[in-house]
Amino acid sequence: MTSTLLIASACTVLLALLVGAYCVAAIDGAITARVTGQTPGNPLLIPLQNAARLWHAPHNETETPDRPALRLAPVLYLVLAAMGLALVPWSRDFVPVDLTTGIVFWGAIEPLATVLVFLKGWAPNAHFPLLGAYRYVSLGLSYILVSMFVLIGVALPAESLQISAVVDTQAELWNVVRQPLGLPLFLVVGLGVSFWGPLNFIDADDLHGGAASEEAGRVQLLWSTGRAAMLLAFSAIAASAFLGGWHGPWLPGPVWLILKTLAVVVLLVILGHTLPRVSPERFLTIAWVILLPLSFLSLAGAGVEALL
Amino acid sequence: MTLPTLLIVSAALIGIGIYGTLSQQSFVMLMMGLELILNGAMLAAVSFWALTAAGAPEGQLLTIIAMAVMAIEMAMGFALVVAVYRAKQADTTEALDGLKH
Amino acid sequence: MSAVDITFYINAAIAIYAGWRVFVTDSMVRASFFLLISFLAVGVIMLLLAAVYLGVALFFMMAVEMMVMALFMVMFMMNPAGLNPMKMVHQEKVAIAAGVVAFAALSAVAVFGEFPSRTIPEGWQPVVSLGHELLGDSMLVFESAGVTLLATMIAVVMLTSHRGRYGDANHGSRPPGLEPGGDPADKPEETEEGGHHHHHHHH
Repeated sequence: MTSTLLIASACTVLLALLVGAYCVAAIDGAITARVTGQTPGNPLLIPLQNAARLWHAPHNETETPDRPALRLAPVLYLVLAAMGLALVPWSRDFVPVDLTTGIVFWGAIEPLATVLVFLKGWAPNAHFPLLGAYRYVSLGLSYILVSMFVLIGVALPAESLQISAVVDTQAELWNVVRQPLGLPLFLVVGLGVSFWGPLNFIDADDLHGGAASEEAGRVQLLWSTGRAAMLLAFSAIAASAFLGGWHGPWLPGPVWLILKTLAVVVLLVILGHTLPRVSPERFLTIAWVILLPLSFLSLAGAGVEALL
Repeated sequence: MTLPTLLIVSAALIGIGIYGTLSQQSFVMLMMGLELILNGAMLAAVSFWALTAAGAPEGQLLTIIAMAVMAIEMAMGFALVVAVYRAKQADTTEALDGLKH
Repeated sequence: MSAVDITFYINAAIAIYAGWRVFVTDSMVRASFFLLISFLAVGVIMLLLAAVYLGVALFFMMAVEMMVMALFMVMFMMNPAGLNPMKMVHQEKVAIAAGVVAFAALSAVAVFGEFPSRTIPEGWQPVVSLGHELLGDSMLVFESAGVTLLATMIAVVMLTSHRGRYGDANHGSRPPGLEPGGDPADKPEETEEGGHHHHHHHH
């Protein structure tokens, strides 16, 4: 790879991450206004106003925090989102990072994100954040396996762990049709990895806000940006793995990828508002007793289909 | 990145791991030492695979097996920590001195 | 020096430094995440060596393992946040000597040993060859690892069960003494007096 292409890839990913995170925040604002019936302002401006407010807000200091973790965790979470987005192919020729084990790499980003979200609750050295962190780890350990099985199911028809190869097999038939169980299960993973909506166990309302109760100012801004970026990166991966990625008629590949990614974002945000919030122990039961066997079933189906 | 430098890095990891395994009183810290030894061993295995074996797949297989050993070590280690804690309400190796007396 | 070399030296330094910090930091949670950092750096070196699957597999294996490790640290260790200085070691001089001797011996092998130089051929696909090996010639080895993991799971559930072989697993459990052979550390004296009182009353 020449250095120009390298720089172009890095710029594309960073730009997509920033613009995408803004889009996610704007979409979330618009859908929140729709659900609650209240319009607090222009949904296109609210994310910027919130960011400016948080940027100038004072920092909240707890007693003897784990300072390196407090500062590093949100930054590294944003970096993980960028790494995930870099794996996504934009067209046949333009893939920022075309790793031969891209699917496994995304599978590695999820547990690393769990570690960082645990640190989000651990670092402030306070009661509610730590409880939120423990809840989130139990959630993380249960959705990672579901995600692995679903992603292996996607890799089977492609006979490759490369995301561009997975996209190429969907030229005629999208994986969402081939493996109907895959996308719904994977969307649950997406809500988990970006701790969104009912799966926001770490900032849980019944924990007085959990980790968010001790956050203010720029740390809070970084975390909310990171969540939006992670939701975006997840949506781009889901669009590539199940909705055919850049494949589509009439329009050029990158436009199709952006449209499909935004469609998944809208779906996830709506799900985040409409799915009921369950208690952590009940969610664990659901994850291990229902979702995990379903993901097994999906994988077995994909295996049979690959053999036929 | 030559074979000797890679092997020296793995030797350093193994050395630190041996220190940790022999010196730590807590079971969980002791397991960290074991993990570090396996970390160095896996790095050495991958280095030999990449630089002396012309890509023979058995080298990668050995590393996969080392990872499985690591998972087994972790699971059994944590189970033993829980069992020892139930019996002795402690997590240090000194708590298991029953055969000394 | 090429970019690959620079990346290698940086990651080698991170791996060794983080591995050393594991045993000197006061905070147990930090210790497990230092170990994670050491593993991640080794994973990057594996990626540089074209072991694309193994490096990435190391990332996710170790992320989960160290997360669980950190939880166990908080559960079992005093002082998990490292708010007080702490050192829980025994036979430290022997351990340092053993570590140094092991490092010196292995480094001597690395420097003075004669190894063939056969690098990976051009166009070789490490992931594909690993897959064919795992589900081809070495399937027995691979499946044995799987069966061993299953046996481990069963053994772990048995070991951690509340129900022991002869009644409750924590039946008759006493906390260790404050000094060797001494009184239990967290039993208040009132309990013993109360017991005596009770005994007397029955007589």
